[in-house]
Amino acid sequence: MEKQIEDLKAIREMMEKSSKFLSLSGLSGVMAGSTAIVGSAVAYYYILEQPNAVAVPLLILDALLTLFVSISFGVIFSVRKARQRKLKIVNSLTLKIVYNLAIPLAAGGILSIILICRNQIEFVAAITLIFYGLALVNTSKYTLDEIHYLGLTEIVLGICAAVFLYHGIIFWTIGFGFCHIVYGLIMYKKYDLN
Amino acid sequence: MANIIANLNKAFDSRIRLGIMSVLMVNDSVDFNTMKELLELTDGNLASHIKALESLGYIRSSKQFIGRKPNTKFIITELGRTSFREHLNALENLIK
Repeated sequence: MEKQIEDLKAIREMMEKSSKFLSLSGLSGVMAGSTAIVGSAVAYYYILEQPNAVAVPLLILDALLTLFVSISFGVIFSVRKARQRKLKIVNSLTLKIVYNLAIPLAAGGILSIILICRNQIEFVAAITLIFYGLALVNTSKYTLDEIHYLGLTEIVLGICAAVFLYHGIIFWTIGFGFCHIVYGLIMYKKYDLN
Repeated sequence: MANIIANLNKAFDSRIRLGIMSVLMVNDSVDFNTMKELLELTDGNLASHIKALESLGYIRSSKQFIGRKPNTKFIITELGRTSFREHLNALENLIK
């Protein structure tokens, strides 16, 4: 009886370990969200006050910086957690994750650049939210379940941002800022604390 | 009771073979080194269990060359999948 229970436990563990990246840290969500809020506050209170010719390049710079800092936090905390659990960081699973994330993100990124070039920057908040959400949904099968719901939330917020076109930055701040913090805290409480 | 135990597959008695099958159930294909790291085994140890499962027809391997290095990938067969499922059911029935 003991052996059978142990066998089943080992089977479940192996299936999870080989097919899911579970070292994603909730803290990376919290930090990424905070970075996004700072980034959009800078955009809202400072950059959008500038004349258009200056504002657009500054906005792009702001967005890229925010993206870079968020991703760095995500990687740093996950690497730390993987090390604590003595797992390898680069393996066939994490490469699969990066690949699946990259497809919708690249498509959305290119589309955003095209829209900016055509002076339709107001659609960018909606596009980035929707494609980011699709990337998360696409990747969620390889990681924690919460990512699936975070992805769906981002997609809904993206559609709202397209409906209320001139308040895009509000939805963007909710999606990339507050949602990351909330989901990050949920994940931190559920997985990191024990 | 005896009948339920009869459904357990002796080939999956070893924890290592159980691990190999579990990994292949949820992944399309897994290469030798990934499998070795996942199960924390040595080359020889893994190879002998792989050979046993292959000769039973539960898994299939395909050897490719990446540059000069051989790269062996393992795939579960239909027979392996059904046999493992039956074994899983038998385990679950036993602890009920």
